[in-house]
Amino acid sequence: MNDTDLDTLLSTPLPERDAGEFSVLLMEKIAHDQARPARILSWITVGLLTLIVAAASLYGAQMMNHATSFSVAIPSLLTVLTLALSFAVMQSAREA
Amino acid sequence: MDDPGLIDRAIRKDVAAFNALARLHQSKVRGLLLRLTRGNHATADDLAQETFLEAWRAIGNFRGDSAFATWLYRIAYSRFLMQARKRKPDEQLDDWQGEAPSGESATHARIDLERAFTKLSAPESAALTLCFALGLSNTEAAEALDMPLGTLKSHVLRGREKLKAILGDQP
Repeated sequence: MNDTDLDTLLSTPLPERDAGEFSVLLMEKIAHDQARPARILSWITVGLLTLIVAAASLYGAQMMNHATSFSVAIPSLLTVLTLALSFAVMQSAREA
Repeated sequence: MDDPGLIDRAIRKDVAAFNALARLHQSKVRGLLLRLTRGNHATADDLAQETFLEAWRAIGNFRGDSAFATWLYRIAYSRFLMQARKRKPDEQLDDWQGEAPSGESATHARIDLERAFTKLSAPESAALTLCFALGLSNTEAAEALDMPLGTLKSHVLRGREKLKAILGDQP
C-alpha cells in the first residue's frame, strides 16, 4: 500500500451514528445530574430534622416536672422549625 | 459546524441547546471512542455518555479558545485514558470487537484498517483518527490530545508507518 492509498483510506469519514437513543439517554443523565443538589440538600435536611426532634424530645423530658412559660416557648419554637424543615424536605424530594 | 448561538445558550445551562450540540457532535465523538476501544460499542458509548455529561458540567468553563468539537475530543480522550488505567489486565481490549462496517463502507480495506488500528497505541490511534478521519489540523489535534505539537507529529508518523507495514503484509 502506498502513501496516497493509505491517506485516502485514513481520511474516510467515520460511519455516522444515529443520535436518537444516545440523546435520550444523555438527557436522562443530565436531568438526574441536575437533581443532585436537591437530593443532597434533602438528606442534609433529614439529618438536621432527626437531630432537632431528638433534642426536642430530650428537652421535653427534662422539663416535664418544672414547666415555666419560657420552657414552653422553646419546644414550640422547635416544633415550628421541625415543620418548616419537613416542608423543605418535601419540596426537595418533589424536585429530585 | 459550531453554532455560537447554541454554545452561548448551552453555557447559560439551556438543556435544549446542549442537546442540539450533543446531537451534532455525538457521531464523531462515538466514532473516535469506538476506534480507541477497538470496536467495543458498549464501552465506547458509555465513555461518550460520560464525555457529554462532563461537558455539560464544565460548559461554563468553555471560553471558545478552541472549536467546541476539539474541546469535546479532549474530554473524550481523557475519559478514555482514565478508563484504560482502571481496566484490569484481563479486560484489555486486544482485537477489533465491533461488527464489520456495513453498506457502502463495507470494503475489505476498511475492515482491514480497523483491525490494523488495534495494533497501534492509543495516542497513535487517536492522533491518526483526529488528523485524518475527523479532519483536525495538527495543532487542533495536539490540543485535543493535550500533547506538544512535535509529539503529535511523531505519533502520526509512527502510526502511519505501522499501518503501512501491517496493511502491506496482508494478502
